[in-house]
Amino acid sequence: MATLEKNIKAVKDVLKSEDVLVFEFTSKEGKKFAAIYADGLINKELLGELVIKPLSECKKDAEYEQIKKMIASPEFKDGEKIKDAIKEISAGNVAVFIDGEKSFMIAGLKSPPVRAVAEPPTQVAVHGPREGFIEDIKINMGLIRKRIKSPDFMVKTITVGKKSETAVAIVYIEGTCPKGLPEKIEKQIKNNEIDIVADSSYISNFMTRHPRSLFKQCGIAEKPDVFCAKVCEGRVGIVVDGSPICLTVPYMLVEDFQSVEDYYITSYRATALRILRVLALMVGIFLPALYITAQLFKIQIIPFKLLMNISSSVAGLALTPSVEMFLTLFVLEVLNEASIRMPKYVGLALSVVGALVLGDTAVKAGIISTPAIIIIAFSAICLYTVPSNIETTTMLRWMFLIVAGSLGPFSMVILGAYIICYLVNEQSYGVPLLAPFAPLVKSDLYDSLVKANMFALEKRPGVFNSDDKVRLKKNED
Amino acid sequence: MKKRLDKGKISSVLYWLLFIALMGLFFTNDFGLMDIHKTSIITAVGIDCPEEEVVVTAEVAVPQPSQSGENIKYTLVQGSGLTIADALDEINSKLGLYPKLQFCQLILVGETCRDKDVFRVLGCFYRKNYSELTTLVAMCEGNASDMLAMKSEVSDRTSEAIRNVLSDEINKSGNAIAQNLKDIALLEYSKSRACFMSYVQPVMPGTSQDGGNGGNKGGEPIPQDEQQGGEQQGQQGQSGQGGQGGEQGQSGGSGGGGGQQGQSGQSGQSGGQTVEFVTHKTAFFSEGHFKGVLDDTQSFALAVLVNKIRVAVLQCDAEDLHYTLGLKYVKSGVDLKVNNGVPEVTISFKAKALIQGVRVVVDPEKIMKDDEVSNVILQSANKEMERCFNGLIEQCVKTDSDLLGLKEMLYKFNNKYYDAFSNDLLSRIRVKYNIDIQSVS
Amino acid sequence: MKINTRQVCFILFAYTAASRLLMYPSVLSAACRRDLLFPALVNFVISTLVILSLAILSSRTDKTFYGLLRDSMGKVGARVVFGFFAVYFLLAAFMPIFEHEQYIHAIFYDTTSTRVVFLPFFIFTAYAACKSFTNIGRCADICAPIFAVCMTLIFLMGVGEAKFVTLLPMLKEPPADIIKGVGDTALWFTEPCWLLMFMGHFKYRKGDAAKITLSYAAGALTVLFFLAIFQGIYGGIASSRTFAIARTSLFFSAIESIGRIDLLILFVLEVVLLFSLVLNIQLGVHTAAKCIGTDRLAVVSLVINALFALTVLIFDKYYGAIYELFTGWFWIPSIIFVLAIPLLAWTLKRRKNEKKAG
Repeated sequence: MATLEKNIKAVKDVLKSEDVLVFEFTSKEGKKFAAIYADGLINKELLGELVIKPLSECKKDAEYEQIKKMIASPEFKDGEKIKDAIKEISAGNVAVFIDGEKSFMIAGLKSPPVRAVAEPPTQVAVHGPREGFIEDIKINMGLIRKRIKSPDFMVKTITVGKKSETAVAIVYIEGTCPKGLPEKIEKQIKNNEIDIVADSSYISNFMTRHPRSLFKQCGIAEKPDVFCAKVCEGRVGIVVDGSPICLTVPYMLVEDFQSVEDYYITSYRATALRILRVLALMVGIFLPALYITAQLFKIQIIPFKLLMNISSSVAGLALTPSVEMFLTLFVLEVLNEASIRMPKYVGLALSVVGALVLGDTAVKAGIISTPAIIIIAFSAICLYTVPSNIETTTMLRWMFLIVAGSLGPFSMVILGAYIICYLVNEQSYGVPLLAPFAPLVKSDLYDSLVKANMFALEKRPGVFNSDDKVRLKKNED
Repeated sequence: MKKRLDKGKISSVLYWLLFIALMGLFFTNDFGLMDIHKTSIITAVGIDCPEEEVVVTAEVAVPQPSQSGENIKYTLVQGSGLTIADALDEINSKLGLYPKLQFCQLILVGETCRDKDVFRVLGCFYRKNYSELTTLVAMCEGNASDMLAMKSEVSDRTSEAIRNVLSDEINKSGNAIAQNLKDIALLEYSKSRACFMSYVQPVMPGTSQDGGNGGNKGGEPIPQDEQQGGEQQGQQGQSGQGGQGGEQGQSGGSGGGGGQQGQSGQSGQSGGQTVEFVTHKTAFFSEGHFKGVLDDTQSFALAVLVNKIRVAVLQCDAEDLHYTLGLKYVKSGVDLKVNNGVPEVTISFKAKALIQGVRVVVDPEKIMKDDEVSNVILQSANKEMERCFNGLIEQCVKTDSDLLGLKEMLYKFNNKYYDAFSNDLLSRIRVKYNIDIQSVS
Repeated sequence: MKINTRQVCFILFAYTAASRLLMYPSVLSAACRRDLLFPALVNFVISTLVILSLAILSSRTDKTFYGLLRDSMGKVGARVVFGFFAVYFLLAAFMPIFEHEQYIHAIFYDTTSTRVVFLPFFIFTAYAACKSFTNIGRCADICAPIFAVCMTLIFLMGVGEAKFVTLLPMLKEPPADIIKGVGDTALWFTEPCWLLMFMGHFKYRKGDAAKITLSYAAGALTVLFFLAIFQGIYGGIASSRTFAIARTSLFFSAIESIGRIDLLILFVLEVVLLFSLVLNIQLGVHTAAKCIGTDRLAVVSLVINALFALTVLIFDKYYGAIYELFTGWFWIPSIIFVLAIPLLAWTLKRRKNEKKAG
């Protein structure tokens, strides 16, 4: 059997799937070639223009080295082992086999279906760039490279996932990020053998010291400007193919209160917004719990006039305050979940049913009271001021609600103290989660809950202990 | 070989157990707790002491179902016993709910408590933390229960109407002396052991109780028997129960026997008419015993000395005319010094005066100069103030009631003379007045 | 190093003050009435001097107290002394736990609450008490600012109602009463022992002794100011106003319109109060573990807290008797552990590590 057919058979024996196509063609002078690729993953136009068209001019007795030079694809490499060819075809490249040659050529014509670069839904900014990461690692890396042109910018690419073989890029700036951290992260990721890495959240689980923890230990960035700013501060970034959410470590809890826009507006406004976010988060977590604890255990918390209003509202309700609040919050969670999963065209109907029918009728029927609905609605709105932490804060709201309804205000305090005691111990790659507050790092307080002006932030965060500490230097005239 | 238990597994089991226990408590939380559904909120309390027992009348807020704001029914519930605690206990048993006194904003001591030790009567509230020490305390004419049952002109809730006349604003004008539980408690534990509280009287709408501090009496206080007029039925009902008390529905209803006083008392009073409340007088006590009621001028003098006055009104006569002066920038104080073995009390009063009204038709051109108060008027005002203070001091000396806290001052600032003078300080004092009222311009 | 000087300062400032906000003022007022500041002052001056001496001692050695004891008395001797300290710390925590329980029932709940509501406290202490000194330090980093903000608010809400002339005449109460006040409140003064335990766990830098002493003095001044405000508000009835912190802001004018906003401050402040209370138990667990020679702090903590929980459940109704007992005789162990042993620590061998000295 001729070499070409043998090679094609070897590949097809492994990649039996019908979407792996073989395109056999012959040059004008009769040299036979075969391009093997996964349908839908490559740009066929480019295949024609950069590979097939040049090769159609190939002489019959042309040497392999001569043939190689004819290929116009800028991304090109040789291969000899069939398993390499299989790997590349799976990754979306084209393997070109030549009749009579053992070696083959790999042309990087990968063009998987990707969506356009767009503004991410959770990190919207009125001021500042609107580009967001997408699911393609190459485009994402391009977006990062566009912003960081330093020669110290390093990228380490590894493959994770036994089946998916997902590309993961570890990016950092040498001299800025903590020493040995990229290697540590690489090792930690590689230590886990998993079938598929569908999203960056898989990787974030690998990097967590306590996987059962309620609190995350990786920062996330959906926008290249945020990602690059974090990498430049001394963090290590992780870009995962197929995920529009990039990870950054070490992570501090305070990061979630820092919105992307804080750096594009005045420091006063940014500080006010950060404080607002903290207060909103507190209200969001504690308000439902405080409301039922006040009703059950400590009526005095409520001002007299308001108490009279609430008393009227809850008078005659069949449910106890705690069950009423539990039910209301449960309905909210159901509506929330349904509104995300439900097809868009049912969304409007859901709003009508949820807000008007359920809410209004339940109040009129005396199942739940108006204050309970107001409190839960306000709590939900408050929590979304810090969307990146919504998973944790929603759970915290439930926890505080349950302890408040069962044991009262003291158990709320105990739970709060427990969380503090737990969090001060937590760290993300050597950086305490509650830094710069515990332990107190004075210099980092300028960009914590307070956002000082740019010139006050002349040094990189002290917690990272970077070699290159200066990030802004004002040259005097 | 025993396998060492995984730390993570243990903690996870513990967390689950804790979660299940909490959920159990969450859905069944009824282990003796008093939640908003089971609590009756007492907004005011009236205390009467007929003979040996104590009758407590509680104004209770009973929330009515409503999804559009406040809908509260205020009801009067009575309890009696040998102590306040007994009476409150009875109220509790009648309501079947747990009464909360934390929101009690007014304690009204009926005139029937004259013969009781006021510190003992009120002590229950401030010693046992039954209610907050910010609760206002006042004495009322007649029975406290009747007073709370009256229908007020200015508010749906009688206690609120009474609280209005004890407000901060009125305090700052010297027209009332609002005392709270803490003030009474502090006075009990002071060296002076004398206390005072506003004396609340009901008046018919459209009339005015004593026009001011100058001594011109007016108004038309409701006679005690008239207040009770038409209330006999209810009273009988109450007495028929041997003072066991009963419920008074403020929103009406038939009163009568069986302890159910209903609204008959209220509708009966003044033929169902609404009333207004005034607090120009002050009841005072020494060593816990009722000593009398200060009249308007004496009350004004006391108010000026114990309250921080912003604007007060003083009436005086000069040049055969009656003037109403507004006093601003008032500074007053009492000082005690021992000079040559004699305790000397200095009462100082400084204020800026302006004419607020004259009881004649005044030439319009003269009004332009209203801000200027002539020396004659100022002298008259000075004298009027001195007369007020003098009246107060005389009353204090006469009844041996140290309302100005002189013994406490002696103890604090002239401690070495305390043992010598404390027993008969009031009879030894020499009073000096340092009154300086000037024209505001 | 497990803890740093700043954290030690925070502990001495915030926890010192926080631990004296409940019964301490009323106990002092009951003993000395208008002169309640003086016994507090006496105790604080003595403690400040001991703390200064310990801070200076820390500059002379980089060893822990256990290390010093081991070098001087041998391992067994050191363990015995730590055993006594464990007992002392746990006893010192005993009365405040009861005090705290009463506070919770009285202030956090409107009506008589069941004892179950206090049980989570022991779950928390069992968890917190086995944490390291690093954890103690970092918790202090969080607690100190919370404490400062809450106390400022409480002071602002209370100072307007306080009449400081109530404290007059000064020093007119019998000296025996002041001495009684000093003795009765001795159980709250455990701070020198805290510093003794932290010794060698923080890196001493020049000027740290002054910082540590001043932090403690700041905590003491906060307490004295609070006592003055409390007495200024309540005068003659101060002794019956237990749980002073909950009573101080009651007369703030805005409370009538916006409700008991001060209760929310108290809830937040309670976190600091908890950590200050837990510190004695934490140190008790650490010293007990050293005494036994185990590193399984979790087990020790679990046992100790289970015993505490049982004791509280059993002796809850005898609070008055326990209070009398503790205020009556606790000055004796206080003299030994707070005064004598810290001063005697100077006599222990305290050679610096050669590496460091070099």
